[in-house]
Amino acid sequence: MHNLSMALKNLKTNFTFYALYLLSVSFVITIFFAFTSFSMNTVMLEKISNDGRVETMCNTISVFLMAFVVFYMSYSNRFFLRRRTKELGIYALLGYRKSTILSLLITENLLTCSGAFITGILLGSFFHKGIVFGITKLLDLAVNHSEIPFFNPNAIMKTTCFIFAVVIVLALSNSRFLFRTSLMDLVRYDKSAEKRMKFHAVPSVIGFLAVISGYCLALDILRGEKSLWLTVGFYPVAMLTFALILSGTVLFIASSLPFAVQAGKKNKRKFYTETKIITAPGFIYRIRSNSRTLIMLTLLSAATLTVSSVMALTLYYPIAAVSRMAPSEIECRIEDENEITAIKEIVNAYSSEADVIFLQTDIYKVTSTAEQLPMEYGIGTSKGDADNEKILREAGFECIPYSAYKALLEAQGRTKVLEHLASLNKDECILIKYQPEPDNNEADSVYPLLIGNEEIPVIVTSVTLDNPISFANSIGTLVISDDLYHTIAGQSGPAVKILSINGKSIEDNEALFQALSDYLSGSPYLQGNSHRVHEIFSLSSSTFLLIGFLVVLFFIAAGSILYFNNVSAVTDSKSDYEILWKMGYTDKRIKKIIKKQTAAFFSIPFLFGLADCVFGTLVYKSALMQNILGNSPLLYAPAMAAVMLTFLIYLGYYHITVHACCKAALTK
Amino acid sequence: MSALLEAKEVTKIYAKAQHPSLNKVSFSVSKSEFIAIMGASGSGKTTLLNVLSTIDTPTGGSITIDGVNIKNLSDSGAADFRRDKLGFIFQEYLLLDSLTIFENIAVPLTLQKLPPQKIENMIKSLAEVFGIDAQLNKYPNELSGGQRQRASALRAIVKRPSILFADEPTGALDSSSATDLLNTLKESNEELHTTILMVTHDTYAASFADRILIFKDGRIIRELFKQNDDRRTFYDLIAREVAKLDIER
Repeated sequence: MHNLSMALKNLKTNFTFYALYLLSVSFVITIFFAFTSFSMNTVMLEKISNDGRVETMCNTISVFLMAFVVFYMSYSNRFFLRRRTKELGIYALLGYRKSTILSLLITENLLTCSGAFITGILLGSFFHKGIVFGITKLLDLAVNHSEIPFFNPNAIMKTTCFIFAVVIVLALSNSRFLFRTSLMDLVRYDKSAEKRMKFHAVPSVIGFLAVISGYCLALDILRGEKSLWLTVGFYPVAMLTFALILSGTVLFIASSLPFAVQAGKKNKRKFYTETKIITAPGFIYRIRSNSRTLIMLTLLSAATLTVSSVMALTLYYPIAAVSRMAPSEIECRIEDENEITAIKEIVNAYSSEADVIFLQTDIYKVTSTAEQLPMEYGIGTSKGDADNEKILREAGFECIPYSAYKALLEAQGRTKVLEHLASLNKDECILIKYQPEPDNNEADSVYPLLIGNEEIPVIVTSVTLDNPISFANSIGTLVISDDLYHTIAGQSGPAVKILSINGKSIEDNEALFQALSDYLSGSPYLQGNSHRVHEIFSLSSSTFLLIGFLVVLFFIAAGSILYFNNVSAVTDSKSDYEILWKMGYTDKRIKKIIKKQTAAFFSIPFLFGLADCVFGTLVYKSALMQNILGNSPLLYAPAMAAVMLTFLIYLGYYHITVHACCKAALTK
Repeated sequence: MSALLEAKEVTKIYAKAQHPSLNKVSFSVSKSEFIAIMGASGSGKTTLLNVLSTIDTPTGGSITIDGVNIKNLSDSGAADFRRDKLGFIFQEYLLLDSLTIFENIAVPLTLQKLPPQKIENMIKSLAEVFGIDAQLNKYPNELSGGQRQRASALRAIVKRPSILFADEPTGALDSSSATDLLNTLKESNEELHTTILMVTHDTYAASFADRILIFKDGRIIRELFKQNDDRRTFYDLIAREVAKLDIER
C-alpha cells in the first residue's frame, strides 16, 4: 500500500485518537498565530506603544512562546508515538523497513499538522480580532478596524516557517527513536517501560528539608530590618531561596512523595481499604515514569500562579495607592490668588453641577529641634530619596489646621476616617506617615516646634496614613490644633497654598484635567485621582495583556499535559480496571479510584504551585513593592482572586480529565 | 449432593450473529465439584463462563448460583455478588502490574473488609501451599508465567469463593507450570472444597476435573464423568471423545 493512502486510512480509522492530537496542536497554533498577528499589528502597536516597550516585550514573549510550542508539540508527538509503538513494531514484524515506517509517521504528522495549521490560522485570526477589540474597548482607543487585516500575511508566513521547522524537528526526533529502538523493544515497549522503584530515605529527607528551608527563608522577609534579606542582601538570599525550593521540589516529587506513600502503606488499617490498596501502589507505579513530567508541571504551575498573582497585585496596588497619592479628585498648588478664579472658571466650564467643593489649605513649614525625628521630616530633601528630583523640598513639618483636615476628609467622602477622628488640644498633633513603620512608632513622641524665636512642644496623639493632601504637595504633614496654627500663621513666613477640588460631577473628567494642566503649564504639583487611575491603566494594560497571554499559555500547557498524561495512564491501564470490575468493584468504586488517582496528579502541581505562589508573592510584596498602604489583608484580595481563578480553571480541567478517564476505563 | 449452580435453558444471542452463541444450555453444578468445559473455538464455552459469572448477561433462561438468580441482579448487586461468591482465573493472569503479588492477593479480601491481620495471615498461609511465598513482595513483571498464574489462582481462591471460574488457565503456561497449577487447583478442590468450573481446550487439563461438558455450536453435546477411574483412564476417555468430535466436524 502507498504511504499516503496508508496514512489517510490510518487517520480515518483512528479518527478519535488523531482528533485529540489535531485538537491539541491546533490549540497551540491558534495561540501562536494570534500572538504573532498581534505583534505584527502596526496599527495597534502605534496606539499602545510610544517608546518601543511593547515591541520589546512582544519579542521576549515570542521566544517563550516558540519554546513552548516546540515543547508542547514534542510532548504531544512523544505521547502519541508511545501509544503507537506496538503498532509500529507489528509493521516492522510484517516486513516494513524502518525508513518506510518513518515516512508513514512523517506523512501522518504532516497531514495532522496541516489540518491543525489551517484550524489554528482560522481560530487564531478570530482570537486576534477579539484581542484587538478587547484592547480598544479597555483603553478607549480610536482604531480603524478596517485597517487591520483578518489574515496577516506576514504572520502567516512566520507561523508557516516556524511550524514547518517544528515538524522537521519532530521527524528527526521520531527517526532517532525508531532507529535506536530494536524490533523486540518496539513490540514489547509497554512492558519494558516501567522499572521497579527504589526508595531512598536520604534524598527524601533532603527534598523535604530543602522545601521547608526555602519557605522559611521566604518567610524571614517578614522580620523586616533584621531579616537575612536585608542583612545579607536581597539577591544572594533570593537566589538561595530559589535554589532551595527548586531542588527541594525536584527531590520532593521524585523521592519524598513516593517514599511517604510507601511508608504510609505500613499503616495497615488505612492501607487495606478498597480504594487505598489500588491508589497508593498505583501512585508509586505512575510516578516512576512520570516524575519528570510532574516536576515540570509543578514548576510551570508555580510560575503561572506566581505570575498571575504578582500581576494582579502589581495592577491593583498602584490603583489602591492612588487614594494616598492623590486623595482629592483634583489638587494643585496656587502661586497667585488670580489663579483660583481662573481655575474655578475652567472647572465650571467642564461641570455644570453645583456639587464641586473648592478648599484652599495654607501649609506652613516648621522646623523642630527634636533629636529623634520621623523619617517624613527629611524625606525628599536630597537627590536619591525623592520621587521627583525636580521638586526637592526643604526639611521640616508641614503644618495644616485640624479644621482644614476635617473639611478635606469630608470633601473627599472619607466618612469612616472622620468617625474615628478625635479633637486636638493646643499642644497635640496628628502625624501623617508616608509609609507604615511597625518598628518605629512615633505616637506619644514630643516634637518642639520652632515658631519665631520660641519653641512650642507638641505631642503626637496619633499616627495615620490618611493624608488629605497628595505627597507631591505635602510630606511630613502635621495636623495641629487651629489655635496653634493661627500662632504659626502669625509668625512664620509665606505659606504654600494648595487648592483641593472635589465633587462627583468632576470625577473621570480627563478633558477637565487636561485643561487645568494646560493652564498650569504642566505643573508637577497638579494631581488628580481619576487621572492617576486612568494613567496607570494606560501605562500598564499593554504589559499586563502580554503577561496575561503568557499566563493563559501556561494554563493551557499545564492543563493539557495533565489531561493527556492522565487519559494516557488510564487508557494504558484499562485492563486493570476490567480486572477490578471482575473482582467485584462497582463502576462507582472504579470512578472513585480514577478520581483519586487523577486528583493526586492535579493536586501536586497545584498545591506546590500555590505554596510557591504564596511565598513568592509575599517576597515580592515585602521587598519589591513600595509599602504606602500598610499590611491590610485586603491588599492581597486580587492575588487571592487570581489564585481562585487558577483553582477554578484547574478544577475545570480536572473534571474534563476525570470524565475522559472514566469513559476510557469503563467503556466495555 | 445439592446444586450450587443451576443453569436452565440459558441462551445468548449477539446482535449481529447468525446463530446463538448459547442455545438453551441447561446443567447443574454440585458443591465441591470440579467441572471442565471443552469444545472447539467458537463453540460457546467462554460465552457460557462469562454469562455464568455475571460478566455478560444471557438473552434467555435462568441461572441460579448459591440460591441467587443472577439474572435479577442490578449492576451493583452483580458486583457485590462477584465480590462475595465468585473467583476468577484467566489465561492472561490479569494481575495488576502496579501492585505487588501480596497486594494483588489482598485486593479481594480488602474488598470484603476483612481486618488487616486476618488478610496477612490468610495470604501467608496459602502462599506456602501455592509455592509463591518467596515472591509475595515482587511485582508481576518480575515473576515467571507459572508463578504469575499461581498468584492469580491464589488471589481467586483466598477469599473462599462459592465457585471458581477458570478460563483457559494453562493456556499460556509450559507443561511443567501447567501441571503445577492444575495440581494446585485439584488440591484446592479436594482440601478446601472449592467448586471449580474450568474452560479448556486441553485434554490434559480437563483430565484433572470430575466431569466434562463438551460444547458444540452453543450446546452441550456430551457429558463425561470420571467416577472411580484414575486420571490416566479419564484422560484417554476425553481424548477419544475429542477425536470423535474432530472427525465429526
